[in-house]
Amino acid sequence: MIPLENFLVLSALLFAFGLFGVLSRRSAILILMSVELMLAAVAINFIAFASYRDTEAFSGLVFALFVITVAAAEVGLALGIVLRLFRERRTANVDEASSLKW
Amino acid sequence: MGMQFGMEQVWVLPAIPAVLFVVLALLNPLIPRRGDFLAALGMATVVALVFVVMKDYASVFHGGEFAPEGKNAFSFDWVNIGQGFFTIQFSTFVDGITMVMLPVVTIVATMVIVYSIGYMHGEVRYGWYFAVLCLFVSAMLTLVVAGNLIQLYLAWEGVGLASYLLIGFYWERQSAAEAAKKAFITTRIGDVGLLIGIILLWRATGTFDIQGIIEAAKNHEIGEKYLTVSMLFLFMGAVGKSAQFPLHVWLPDAMEGPTPVSALIHAATMVVAGVYLVARFSPVYAEVLVARDVILYTGLITAVMAASMGLVSSDIKRVLAYSTVSQLGFMFVALGSGAVTAAMFHLFTHAFFKALLFLGSGSVIHATHKQEVESLGGLHRKMPFTAAVFSIGSLALAGIPIFAGFWSKDEILHETLNEAPIAVYVILAGTAMLTAIYTTRLVLLTFFGAPRDHHAFDHAHESPIIMNAPLAILAVLATVSGFFVFDQVGKALGFPGGIGANVFLEHAHHFTEPDYAFASVATLMSLMGIGIGYAYWHGDAKRAVAARGWAPDLHALLVNRYYMDNLYQGIINRVILGAGSLIAWFDKKVVNETGVDGGAQTVSYLGYRLKFLQTGRIPNYAFGMALGVLVLAIVAIGNA
Amino acid sequence: MFDRLPLPSQFDRTIIAGGTVLLLGATPVLVVLAALLVVDRITAPEFVFFLASAVLLASAAGVVLMKNIVHAALCLVVTLLGVAAIYLLLLTEFLALVQVLVYGGGVVILLLFGLMMTNAQDDPVVTDGSQKPFAFGVAALIAGVFIAMALDAQWGSPEAAIIPLPDFGARLFRDFSLPVVIVAVLLDIAFTGAFVNARRADAASAARGEARS
Repeated sequence: MIPLENFLVLSALLFAFGLFGVLSRRSAILILMSVELMLAAVAINFIAFASYRDTEAFSGLVFALFVITVAAAEVGLALGIVLRLFRERRTANVDEASSLKW
Repeated sequence: MGMQFGMEQVWVLPAIPAVLFVVLALLNPLIPRRGDFLAALGMATVVALVFVVMKDYASVFHGGEFAPEGKNAFSFDWVNIGQGFFTIQFSTFVDGITMVMLPVVTIVATMVIVYSIGYMHGEVRYGWYFAVLCLFVSAMLTLVVAGNLIQLYLAWEGVGLASYLLIGFYWERQSAAEAAKKAFITTRIGDVGLLIGIILLWRATGTFDIQGIIEAAKNHEIGEKYLTVSMLFLFMGAVGKSAQFPLHVWLPDAMEGPTPVSALIHAATMVVAGVYLVARFSPVYAEVLVARDVILYTGLITAVMAASMGLVSSDIKRVLAYSTVSQLGFMFVALGSGAVTAAMFHLFTHAFFKALLFLGSGSVIHATHKQEVESLGGLHRKMPFTAAVFSIGSLALAGIPIFAGFWSKDEILHETLNEAPIAVYVILAGTAMLTAIYTTRLVLLTFFGAPRDHHAFDHAHESPIIMNAPLAILAVLATVSGFFVFDQVGKALGFPGGIGANVFLEHAHHFTEPDYAFASVATLMSLMGIGIGYAYWHGDAKRAVAARGWAPDLHALLVNRYYMDNLYQGIINRVILGAGSLIAWFDKKVVNETGVDGGAQTVSYLGYRLKFLQTGRIPNYAFGMALGVLVLAIVAIGNA
Repeated sequence: MFDRLPLPSQFDRTIIAGGTVLLLGATPVLVVLAALLVVDRITAPEFVFFLASAVLLASAAGVVLMKNIVHAALCLVVTLLGVAAIYLLLLTEFLALVQVLVYGGGVVILLLFGLMMTNAQDDPVVTDGSQKPFAFGVAALIAGVFIAMALDAQWGSPEAAIIPLPDFGARLFRDFSLPVVIVAVLLDIAFTGAFVNARRADAASAARGEARS
């Protein structure tokens, strides 16, 4: 069998990739994609713990389902915002949406 | 069983004037005559209730033993913090001392309110005047029925507030406003001592209940030195309120208030609060004789100083004020000798004759609009009734037999001779003679001799009946109130043993007949005083004017009130204002410019610098979040 | 020869180039893993796991690194499918199915629509300094910390258990019925909000003559 640690390490790496994407990308759409990676990493963690260590209650599975659902909602809403931003500013570059400052 | 009014319901007494105060203060433009009749009727009701309470009090004497079975105390929890750690109760307590104070306060207050209806007629803020009088009476009654120290302290400050408001009643006048401030601040010094004393006693016993503290002190549960210090602090409050040396300076200035106020607050009731306080704690003072000696000598110094100042003052009300201070000194001498009964008895009689004298002087001022003796004289021809009652009051003050003051002063002197060093008796007896001298001087200069201000004399007239009626009643009381000390009189009126047996039960003193030998000496001295006064001030007072030349320095010393006001003013100017300017500098430079402004400028500068962290760029914010997650992860790993 | 295929040439080339890269990258991995499997150093599930992980991580790197935004989106598809494979290895076939349907079918399509409508590129027009190096540092640190935590903990040697789908359904709709309803409402609100937010400026704002830059 595959040890639990493998999944955890995979999840950590995936999370870090996603985080790097969120921090380094400028296009809002790409940032959203990177967020999806991070969410997927979290879901892997949830499911791994549920199948390995919580076989009675498996709440992790339920939470993974919720994560997927909320991620879908988030993508929908965020895309709405990006579209709006694009229409207002002719860009999806988050660097240019920086008027909320000193 | 129906509702029966008695000692347990004594809280109703202060409640009535308190309600009247609120009604009069808020609604007085709506009430006919601005509500003066309401105040008078309310006070009359309170007097009636006081007699009911006294009857109830007399009923708990079973075979001469005082057995109230708890009916004289009433309490409920007012503040309770930490399950009894800090409890303040609302409580009332009634005993012989209360029984002396209640009739004094209520009867004099009623007389003064009725008199004021005539005296204050047409004055500004007429309704407010009566409202504040009601406030005063309410606070004073709370003070005398208070069962615990917090309540007593609140009432103590309440009477101080009413006193302040009434001294400064004519606040448009600079001197009145100044006098009000002086009275408030000077008594405040004493009040701080009182508060410290209360806190010290609470710390030692864990209770504010007066009877509880007395019990603890009697059972020696408090260390003697600690108790001495506490009781001296408590006495400091009495010194301030009762205008004893060295805090006596406010009382003469307090005469800026309307004269009936002087009669009520600054002669008969509020200023005796200090006497009441010490009498209330007399069982404790009996344990700490050092503190009692301090009381004795404070009283003695005050009595002599004030009497000597009264000798030269030219203001009719100020003479009476000095006389009040001096007589309060007598009471403290009695308290300091352990003669609580004598002190309370003198308090009782003094209230009536001094109120009479003040109201009499009020009639003079009302008639002539003058209060300097230089502008008076010969008034007995225009105001025979006032002259007669004023003379009765003066005889009582001078200590001439059958008048009230004789009995009580004689009692004090008698106790002093028995309990204190002989020198104290000699000085006090001399002061009593001095009292007779300045009293005679005042009567002669005001009512006899030739009129010195013809304009004032021509306009003088006898006062209306509403002012004369209280004078008449007080004149009767000033004559007969001394008889209450007799066992026989007490028996006839339902309190066997007289005041002596009822006030201070532990050393019941049955007064059946005077000590004739002793009394004759005292009487002789009083008569001598009157003789000296007559010799110097009769007619146009030539001899008195000549006497000023004997010792001009002494005269200047007395006229300038021993330079104590100058001394205090000097202290205030040099020390307090100097320290004040230092503190002001500190406040301006250090607290304000460095502390407050400096902090503000630092924050503002940092804000100016740090605002650039706020780039508005989302990736930067996300980066901050990531750093946060990193820190949390490291913390979590550290805890694991 | 690509010209004869009935596909848009751009897309065509993309697929071929991507496939080539994938093949070139995956082959050595595949070879190594197969060798390890043959000599019995790893079991068959582990073989699948490492393969899936390699594809997953490689495509995830593509998502965050690719300059071309459409290529990145296609990488995302591969990543999400890889995640579904991981779910299968964790014996949760239902969630794997959901993952494919919702992500592969829904979310990615949504993202691609977003790309088309915004003409988005990860253009290198930078207003000031990029935070890429810092981003790399933080991501690496977090990965390090998480991996250290995962390896440091004593997990024992638990076995993955098959969770029967009926049990999962019972748990989801019995014990978590209220959260399910709440999530449903959340979804509803989110999409309503997205719709309201993203729809074209209406007549009223046009009448106000709102200038668009």
